[in-house]
Amino acid sequence: MSWVLHRVDDRLIHGQVLVGWGARLHPVRIWVVDDGVATSEWERTLFREAAPGIEVRVADVSEAAAEHAAEAAAPGAAFLLVRDLATARRLVQAGATVREWNLGGLHYAPGKDKLNDYVYLGPADRDDARALLALGASLIVQDVPASAATPLPALDPALTA
Amino acid sequence: MSPGPGEEPAPPRVPALIVTHADLAQSLVRAAETVVGPVEDVELLSNEDRSRDDLERAIEERVQGWSQGGLLFTDFWGGSCHTCGAAAARRHGEVVIVTGVNLPLLLDYLHNRDRMGLVELAERLQQKGRDGIRVQRGVPA
Repeated sequence: MSWVLHRVDDRLIHGQVLVGWGARLHPVRIWVVDDGVATSEWERTLFREAAPGIEVRVADVSEAAAEHAAEAAAPGAAFLLVRDLATARRLVQAGATVREWNLGGLHYAPGKDKLNDYVYLGPADRDDARALLALGASLIVQDVPASAATPLPALDPALTA
Repeated sequence: MSPGPGEEPAPPRVPALIVTHADLAQSLVRAAETVVGPVEDVELLSNEDRSRDDLERAIEERVQGWSQGGLLFTDFWGGSCHTCGAAAARRHGEVVIVTGVNLPLLLDYLHNRDRMGLVELAERLQQKGRDGIRVQRGVPA
């Protein structure tokens, strides 16, 4: 069982994850993989308490990569959340095997191009996306289970040009 | 009205910011206005199209003028409005977050924001919000 969702979402734990995907996939653990959150005791506590009834593990990239295979064999369903494609890429390069990433929220920032209402990519994001695709991962754009799932390259021809 | 002999002066108004998904905050205030008339001094914010950083910044902008804390209402526990609010608020003194904002709770805030202190009011609103949810089973005719 274990891994049922690897998601790139700059809000990390929030409503779409807890309610939208949570009601569909019933995770018993959510891993928040983020070097910044992992170093802040206060933020660790904030996220641990954000999902009542679900165990939240906060880890930095190297710790998450080291425990990724063991978690894959653990009982119950698990989600893994990262805030950007750079973290997803680093996690895979550090040894985690992830066949599919769900792209659920990469919001507007200056210098980024709009692909849809919730995915904006800049040059660095595109480099990370290309690297993940080259490593054999699928990148699927879908904010909530009820909306359409679209492979990222179909939304962003510049990726494969 | 100035306080009479032996009366405590009224505490300053407890300010509030409502942060929700979509346009729930505006709609809640619009609904409240149909009950109590024009509502002033309540800030509104939507998380729509905002990243975590962006939402934290927007919340921070709205609470930084609060000199003695205030109330931050959000729609549900664990949502981005709540977790970003908690992050932004902790840099601005005593900002108390009340999640699960509903119309009974908001109306009670408007009635009591000029006469109660922050923490006392927050605790009262938690109870009022819960008390506002009741179940009445239909009685078949």
